[in-house]
Amino acid sequence: MAPIVQVSKLDKYFGRLHVLKEVSIDVAPREVVCLIGRSGSGKSTLLRCINFLEEPSFGTIEVDGLKVEAHGKGKEHRQLIHDVRLKTGMVFQEFNLFPHMSVLENVIEGPVTVKGMDRAKAIQLAEENLDRVGLLFKKDEYPMRLSGGQKQRVAIARALTMEPKVMLFDEPTSALDPELIGEVLNVMKKVATDGMTMLVVTHEMGFAREVADRVLVMADGEIIEDEKPDNLFNQPKDPRTKALIDRYRTGTT
Amino acid sequence: MRSDSTTGHVVKLAPSQAELLYEAQQRQARNFRTNVGLSWGILLLILVYLFSGQNFLGIKTIQIDFEFIRNNMIFIAGGLGETLLVSVLSIVLATILALLAALGRLSTIPPVYALSTFYVSLIRGTPLYLQIFFFFLALPQLGIVLTGLFAGVLALGLNYGAYMSEIFRAGLASVGKGQREAAIALGMTPWQTMKRVVLPQAMRFAIPPTGNEFIAMTKDSALVSATGFVHEVMWRATRVGRAQFHNLEALIMAAIFYWLMTLVLSYVQSVIETRLAKGDR
Repeated sequence: MAPIVQVSKLDKYFGRLHVLKEVSIDVAPREVVCLIGRSGSGKSTLLRCINFLEEPSFGTIEVDGLKVEAHGKGKEHRQLIHDVRLKTGMVFQEFNLFPHMSVLENVIEGPVTVKGMDRAKAIQLAEENLDRVGLLFKKDEYPMRLSGGQKQRVAIARALTMEPKVMLFDEPTSALDPELIGEVLNVMKKVATDGMTMLVVTHEMGFAREVADRVLVMADGEIIEDEKPDNLFNQPKDPRTKALIDRYRTGTT
Repeated sequence: MRSDSTTGHVVKLAPSQAELLYEAQQRQARNFRTNVGLSWGILLLILVYLFSGQNFLGIKTIQIDFEFIRNNMIFIAGGLGETLLVSVLSIVLATILALLAALGRLSTIPPVYALSTFYVSLIRGTPLYLQIFFFFLALPQLGIVLTGLFAGVLALGLNYGAYMSEIFRAGLASVGKGQREAAIALGMTPWQTMKRVVLPQAMRFAIPPTGNEFIAMTKDSALVSATGFVHEVMWRATRVGRAQFHNLEALIMAAIFYWLMTLVLSYVQSVIETRLAKGDR
């Protein structure tokens, strides 16, 4: 099947720092791909380049048939980026719920403001997705009154309500207390089972092993392995991958 | 609780001890407030006594003319409306200018950024008193004649707008980068991001200091009396004070009016702040 996300020869510089070096990846529809690697390896930057939260320096990004060149300019380029953002949903490490809006308002904000969706229809859609993450009963609460895990589940519902083709997760459980990680991973698992295409930057090796179709390992701005999880975790080829996996096994991240 | 004794006796006692401690703390806080209140009362009495004209241990306190106060009370109080009018109009103008200047400061377009910083620098670099006179006395030389009220509001608005732009800038800066990114990731345009996500949060941050500015402005509005054509509290006080050589009484009255006004406004502000704090955040 033709890939739904295709990143080709992507370079990214922060000032003089070369953080992504000709990275190319393909993600097939309904595939779940986990990106692992030490901090500073470039995995979050790669993810953030896909919806242009970071402007890549060179290369191309294609999402669901929309091809965007890195160094584009002008109105047409901006429109393309906007369209790519409509096809991708993003979940952040720090949740980034809007604190001045209730849970329901957070979730309908995108469809109503960006897509101009009818409010009643947006509410219906939002309630379905809040139900999916098990938080419909919190719809009138404000984010401040939710636990970290609940906030992240609302953030997932918010992204899903935009009905994206691809979901991008940027270390979704890294800011959570250990006992709250499970509930978020369970929701992600459910979203994956429902057939969503997912790209997940994570440190959760258990999740990668259990849910991912493919695991990409990044180091120094490059992808050093691209394997099925069983192969990767049982027979890592690169010594850096082996070191990474061993570190998580012994629990010293 | 010293130990996890199974007698149940200790367990029962412990909360009541905590209760006692809590009550003691509450009592202490109450006592503090009561004593501060009493001290305020005493200070106020001393101040009033100072102007009573009585003899105290051989020292004669200040004698003021109550007849004058009675006769001119209504005249000076009649300026309260003008004072508040000038303040309200000026704060509205200042708020608009401050918001524009703060947004200009975020702009990546050089002329817009320059305009914002130029405005703030020029206005903050010159005295408010000069600015009021500039609009009222200097502009007529160029054929532009403004009424005292209009010149005053323009000067106060421009002046406070420049200072308040810093408050608004801090308010905008208080909204984290993650908030903007979340909005952008949802597909919002820069304008939608500003309007729906950044501004509402920045406003909440900026409202309490804006209240402070408003209170300060009710007092600075007295400078507008210098034009001679806005009959607010200060203008009225100096007019009757000079005419009848009773500046002491006239200014004391004006001071009391300004003080009362700021007390009421501070109270209103604290109510608004409590509401904001309790609100939905």
